[in-house]
Amino acid sequence: MSLFNSLIRPSNGTPAGAEGETRETRRPHYEIRETEGSYIVTAYLPGVARDGLEIVDEEGKLRITGKCAHKLPEGSVTLHRESSEAPFDLVLEHDSTVDTGKIEAELKDGVLRLSLAKSEAAKPRKITVS
Amino acid sequence: MRLIPYSYPSFRSVTPFAGVGGRLAQADIEDQLDWLYGAALTGISNSVGGGQFPVDLYNDKDNLYVRAELPGVARDAISVEIVNGSLSIQASRKEKSGEEETTASFSRLVSIPDDVQGDKVSASYENGILTVTLPKKEEAKPRKINVSVN
Repeated sequence: MSLFNSLIRPSNGTPAGAEGETRETRRPHYEIRETEGSYIVTAYLPGVARDGLEIVDEEGKLRITGKCAHKLPEGSVTLHRESSEAPFDLVLEHDSTVDTGKIEAELKDGVLRLSLAKSEAAKPRKITVS
Repeated sequence: MRLIPYSYPSFRSVTPFAGVGGRLAQADIEDQLDWLYGAALTGISNSVGGGQFPVDLYNDKDNLYVRAELPGVARDAISVEIVNGSLSIQASRKEKSGEEETTASFSRLVSIPDDVQGDKVSASYENGILTVTLPKKEEAKPRKINVSVN
């Protein structure tokens, strides 16, 4: 009955992308909430625009990758830097309780909200006693 | 210019989810302890739950730019002010989890040089990034002086 029963940790230097290139990624902050009919994943992806975001669900693994759209204006000099340029990468493993055909995503102000509908079998069922 | 550097909390972050399924591995506990120590030492909570947030500073010949990561904040919940020669950025984010609604507050004070025009500051917010543009004073801009040599 677990929701996402294990987490795969993206370590630095894992191959990111289909091209097999190796580069540093960072795992975004995220939260998972359970409602009666779905799991809600909230991932914080500051600087990621819609076209830099990719969500793939494959073989029970949901992978969220986001590239930051920000570019420094031409001729500017960085004085102090705390943010990271590394793309976001988050992999969540789930079991058959998620209906992969009903995954909805919304990206607003750098926050991704994913709604993963539970499969019919995973929903609570009320049984009437006759 | 004075800044207390932000240190990213470990992305193996503390989540209620880590315990779901009843499997909390030793490595996870160590990660969480690392994170807690880190948070205690730097005096931050994290950029999600509230507290500080990462800031970048860069400039070109006309402006100084302050870029702050503030995902999911409503525009009217962002306040940018110049107070005693420092740039103060404050923001809050409302979070709904079921019936409950919580508010996470963020603030950061960035010392800025004297050569910016405090009254002409502008800000924009896109993709969860706040960019504050501080125009430099005329005398601070690089100037080309033509010297005629006789």
